[in-house]
Amino acid sequence: MSAYAKPVEVLIDELGRLPGIGPKSAQRIAFHLLKADRVDAQRLADAVVELKEKVAFCETCFNVAEGDECTICGDPRREQHVLCVVEEPKDIAALEKTGAFNGRYHVLLGAINPLEGIGPEQIKMRELALRVAQDDITEVIICTNPNLEGETTAAFIANKILAPFEVKVTRLASGLPVGGDLEYADELTLGRALEGRQAL
Amino acid sequence: MKLATVWLTDFRNYEQLEINLDEGFTAVLGPNGAGKSNLLESLALLATLKSFRRAPTDSLVRKGADRAIVRATGIRDDREVLIELELAKGRTRAQVNRQPLKRTRDLLGALRVTVFGPDDLALVKEGPSVRREYIDDLIVALDPPADAVLSDLDRILKQRNALLRQMSGSGDEASLLTLDIWDDKLAAAGEHLTIRRENLLVDLMPLATESYRVLSNTEVDVVAFYNRSWDTEHMAEAVADSRANDQRRGTTSVGPHRDDIVVTVDGFDSRTECSQGEQRTLALALRLAGHRLLAERLGESPLLLLDDVLSELDPDRARALLNSLPPGQTVITSAQGLPPDTVPDQVLEHRGDRLEVVKMNDLD
Repeated sequence: MSAYAKPVEVLIDELGRLPGIGPKSAQRIAFHLLKADRVDAQRLADAVVELKEKVAFCETCFNVAEGDECTICGDPRREQHVLCVVEEPKDIAALEKTGAFNGRYHVLLGAINPLEGIGPEQIKMRELALRVAQDDITEVIICTNPNLEGETTAAFIANKILAPFEVKVTRLASGLPVGGDLEYADELTLGRALEGRQAL
Repeated sequence: MKLATVWLTDFRNYEQLEINLDEGFTAVLGPNGAGKSNLLESLALLATLKSFRRAPTDSLVRKGADRAIVRATGIRDDREVLIELELAKGRTRAQVNRQPLKRTRDLLGALRVTVFGPDDLALVKEGPSVRREYIDDLIVALDPPADAVLSDLDRILKQRNALLRQMSGSGDEASLLTLDIWDDKLAAAGEHLTIRRENLLVDLMPLATESYRVLSNTEVDVVAFYNRSWDTEHMAEAVADSRANDQRRGTTSVGPHRDDIVVTVDGFDSRTECSQGEQRTLALALRLAGHRLLAERLGESPLLLLDDVLSELDPDRARALLNSLPPGQTVITSAQGLPPDTVPDQVLEHRGDRLEVVKMNDLD
């Protein structure tokens, strides 16, 4: 049945499981690796192995970390009492680039999405409640994605998880890209920006 | 916008076609199977990117060709607009004035269209979903951002139903808390859409009555009742009340997706108590009402496409329709010619495998 030798078939299959890679791309990458130097292929294989061996999730905030604690949780200069809740570690990278936030993070590792079988139990929701209870947190900034699942997760955190605590809960604002023209904004974003307008 | 010239390449049965359309009333004549509806379909496609016959894109491409092109120029506010569509297997590309469109929603508004075809009898005869779609399409045509409300609601329902099924009857505390959140979202989006639909019906029905009266030469009243699937003051209460039931059945039992619109003609339920002829007249009156509402609100009459409508009506009603066409550009197809006293601005006729201009407006 299979058109290729078994190892090629296995590799195509494995690559095809990666996000954003369909069968055609998987095939192209597999044949590229087949033609590549042994050293290059080895380097890629080593990188994957090393990633899984050395990098894990931070035990406190679930950011990626080399060791038990990520660099942000281990940094004593960062504000201890403000938490920013994000869906994925890559969201931290985006927020860090702003340089506008000096608190700590909490990564949920997902959003509530019943269609994909993800409920609050499957993401780091319990851990968030625990941190807020133990760490004397004064403000939680919810930075989940501005889509239906992200908004639902935000509502869950605000109305259920944090309801028992005396903590300020805020949500990242929706608005217009800075440096852009109003006329190019899509109607939804512009509508939201209008709703969330601020007094000058 | 009014269409001026339309070019088809490898679209359905047309290998190459170029036609100039009159600004007013054009009749397309010819025997069955000549391609009259195909022409209308291509015109509707320029506005919606979807076939009104619900045909997949593949079947729009002429047999043996690998892509179809539909191009048209039109005039809007005294300026020429060029719309180009390329249809190929699994891929549709659209350009307006040589600018590619990012989303199909961006095409809405370039050209607007009202289509009435034989399948529209379903609007009266079939189940509630057809009427819900009719009203929702009008809401979006009048206010394109409302599209987001509809797609959000759709996704909320899918997510809530998925959660209900996972809970399989009972559910742990976390699921119940999550369900609270989905219930809030459902109630907010659902109530919003319900009110929009009801408001639109209020504006629409006088126009439907007027259209029905003109077509039938009677004085009947067309009245619509919006039957909500909930009867509490706010939808949130109904969602809470139905929770046990929803959990048991694994599906959402209240919301706009369960509502119906019952239309009556002089008090008779159109779905069960009206004759076939009355049902056809009503379906046409509903489409024309939507057409006139769009024209009123947008200050511009959409392109009106009437596919094989005359064969469905008795001679008096057919004549009444053609003599009372709303102002604006109209294209109508017919296999059996036109009633004797109708005067189209332009007649296109299929002869052999050619589409010929039989009559052009003198002004052109």
